[in-house]
Amino acid sequence: MSTNLDVGNVLDARRQHDSSLAREKRAGRPLYVPIVLLLVLAALPALQLIGGYNYVLHLALYTMMYVAMASSWNILGGYTGYVSLGHNVFFCIGGYFSGMLLAYFGVSTILTAPFAGLAAAVIGFGIGLVTLRMRGPTFIISSIALLMVARILFDNWHFVGGANGITLPQLSLDARWMKIPYYYAFLVIAAVTVYTSYRIKHSKFGLGLRAISQDEVKAESAGIDTRFYKAFAFAISAFFVGMAGAVWGEYLTYIRPNIYLVILVAANMVLMCILGGKGTVAGPIVGTVLLVLFNEFFVATMGASELNIMGTGIIMMLALLYFPNGIVGTLAQKRRLPRFLDWD
Amino acid sequence: MPELLEVSDVVAGYGRGPAILNGISLTVRPGQVQCIIGPNGAGKSTLMKAIAGLLPVRSGEIRFGGERIDGLRPDQILRKGICFVPQERALFPKMTVRENLRMGGYTLRDEALLERRTEAVLEQFPILRERAHQHAGTMSGGQQQMLAMARTLIVEPQIVMLDEPSLGLAPQIVQQMFEIMHMLRNRGMTILLVEQNAIAGLKHSDWGTVLDLGRTLFEGPAPEVLVDPRIQELYLGRSAAAAA
Amino acid sequence: MIDILQVLVLGLALGGVYALMASGLTLIFGVMRIVNLAHPIMILTGAFVSYWLFTLYGIDPILSMPVAALVLFVIGLVLYKLVFAREAASAKYSEMTVLLTFALAMSFDGLLGALFSNTQRVTTPSYGTQAIFLGDLFIPTAQLYAGIASFVIIGGLMLFLRYTRFGYAIRATTQNRAAAQLMGVNVEFVSLVTFGIGLALAGAAGSLVSFIFSFFPAKHWEWIAILMSLVVLGGMGKLMGTIVAALLLSVIAAFVGTYAGSTWSTMTFFLALFVMLLVRPQGLFGDRIEEA
Repeated sequence: MSTNLDVGNVLDARRQHDSSLAREKRAGRPLYVPIVLLLVLAALPALQLIGGYNYVLHLALYTMMYVAMASSWNILGGYTGYVSLGHNVFFCIGGYFSGMLLAYFGVSTILTAPFAGLAAAVIGFGIGLVTLRMRGPTFIISSIALLMVARILFDNWHFVGGANGITLPQLSLDARWMKIPYYYAFLVIAAVTVYTSYRIKHSKFGLGLRAISQDEVKAESAGIDTRFYKAFAFAISAFFVGMAGAVWGEYLTYIRPNIYLVILVAANMVLMCILGGKGTVAGPIVGTVLLVLFNEFFVATMGASELNIMGTGIIMMLALLYFPNGIVGTLAQKRRLPRFLDWD
Repeated sequence: MPELLEVSDVVAGYGRGPAILNGISLTVRPGQVQCIIGPNGAGKSTLMKAIAGLLPVRSGEIRFGGERIDGLRPDQILRKGICFVPQERALFPKMTVRENLRMGGYTLRDEALLERRTEAVLEQFPILRERAHQHAGTMSGGQQQMLAMARTLIVEPQIVMLDEPSLGLAPQIVQQMFEIMHMLRNRGMTILLVEQNAIAGLKHSDWGTVLDLGRTLFEGPAPEVLVDPRIQELYLGRSAAAAA
Repeated sequence: MIDILQVLVLGLALGGVYALMASGLTLIFGVMRIVNLAHPIMILTGAFVSYWLFTLYGIDPILSMPVAALVLFVIGLVLYKLVFAREAASAKYSEMTVLLTFALAMSFDGLLGALFSNTQRVTTPSYGTQAIFLGDLFIPTAQLYAGIASFVIIGGLMLFLRYTRFGYAIRATTQNRAAAQLMGVNVEFVSLVTFGIGLALAGAAGSLVSFIFSFFPAKHWEWIAILMSLVVLGGMGKLMGTIVAALLLSVIAAFVGTYAGSTWSTMTFFLALFVMLLVRPQGLFGDRIEEA
């Protein structure tokens, strides 16, 4: 040990370091960001008063839907580490649950969406109890198989219209105001999902989930009921996806297997989380905005949907190879994450 | 005596983790059994993995017969003549004993030679001959260790590194392992041995090297190391406490 | 009685093709612990090679099998170097590699779709519509040929793994990668070549697929689930297990298809997977799936 070191200096430096840490802590969460964001989004439909901005509203609505879906997927795939490639099954279940109620009883899907979410969650819990028994490749494979099973079932289920699906009644609103109810529905769903994701991440439950993703055996020996935790995470993550599916059907005015049960929907959820940062609260939001913008740009310039699939695949590969922690994750690692994105 | 293997100032560790070997240096002289002892976490196994090429060397160098071998792949290092029998014994559980032996001679291109040496090993170890067509994974721990050590005869390397051959074996079997080790030495191979049981290891060795915290603490002829008071100290944990 | 025999024979022929389709997948998982979700799209790539060779130059798809295999072998080497080399070095199963192969599958799906559009195609060699009658037994020639070709290739693969030096290296790497390294196997090289061989098998299977199924790029998603079910049932990375699972399930699926309608025959594979997860998660022939 060197003797000419000034002890006073060392202590000073340490005190300074401690107080800087404390200041960071005191600053707390930048609460104004989500509030401003919510206010802006809530005010956005006012655009319709001054002109036809249906495209903007559609884009915002679509983004909010995927924010909800990606954040929801993140609870299972990001926090718990179980990658599901068939999560759109719950999107479909929600869509058909509320869609059928609308078709037969005329109840708006916006009202029945929570119940659709619940139905998806119950089914998700049951499926989770079976498929979450195996960690690793088997779970992913079973999630794809689940998607295929759902596709075959819905394609052949005549009561719900088989492969052609069924048409849903439309609201008798002027085209200008047509999107508004769904817009607000998705705004609420997205906000609740992100808030739930945040609360879970900062709860004991979320800690348990992250322990499972690190080392399941150790988590179990630490007294975590891993089987229940995983299945419950699966259920929650199915819940919001189901809710989104419910409203999406009425918004499109029809429900059909090939709008819900295509692999691209699942791929989008996964990719949004990876791009933004798997396992972070803000990541899925950032990822969703980026991917939606990219898709719009791609479709506007290239048009072809096949190339769009290829582009999505290539971006995903590049992201996984060179950017596996996503934007939020990478910035956080480099301690460069702006505070308004720091929710973890 | 010229040095066969020379490790100088080697730093190595796992992945991005902290260094386990902190500038270790040691030399291995031909024709000896050299025993490496030290407390848990001293870097004994890590050293062997670094020599075998299973672990990248961060700095320092390893020379074999004067030629640098750090940075080579494990298969290249084997071809140079260094054979490593790790703790887990490196057997192929779903292959028969005979196939395991033949895998030991994977680097031999000469089929006739491979067959001759395989037969010679089976000749020498009747238990293995008896079980030649049994899957290696179904044998007892002692038999598996015997197979792993006997397998080194097929390539006839210059150096055999044995990482805790006695691990988990009954005392009378342990004795057998040391006998096989001496047999390998009598065939002209130099042995580098890691033993948790320092006393037993040193008793069967010519030279003893004591590691601690990724460095060579001291070394000397095995009988001298065996009676060195510092051994007592080290194994009572006093030196580790002082270092921390 | 003859009905049952009939279904059995058809099921076995198809099972042979499924076994060939899944064999490369199993091989790759065994050596590299990569769950290659892009395998089925590679099969389709092989199918397109044979389809175009037949359509443009009239080359029989069975004869163009080596070409498809070679094309896919090269694609395999390139993809391994570009995409998998880093991840495969760890030789541990990881979610990342599965997602990588998923993304790869999407890229190829989009590429093939953009090049050839998603219309149904089938290669139509002369035997495509013929059938052989053995007494009352009726066997479509195309399926018979495809089945026989598959069994020949699988047999060749097994002899290769069992008796050649490189086969030893592949088996050794599958069973214990570190040990193989210590025996002097260059596992990096083995991984590279095995990836190539795995895709070559996919290419060869594609040639056969091109004349027994009608195909289009997006069809691979369905096959992912079917082939993956076979691999899980076979015990992850166990070639023999995968082959037995393929034959068994194809026969069951053939019976389901005959007596309950063809829609439900594919369902057999998925239901078998879920039943397996409930009853015996390590697969029919697996000991235990290693944790990552």
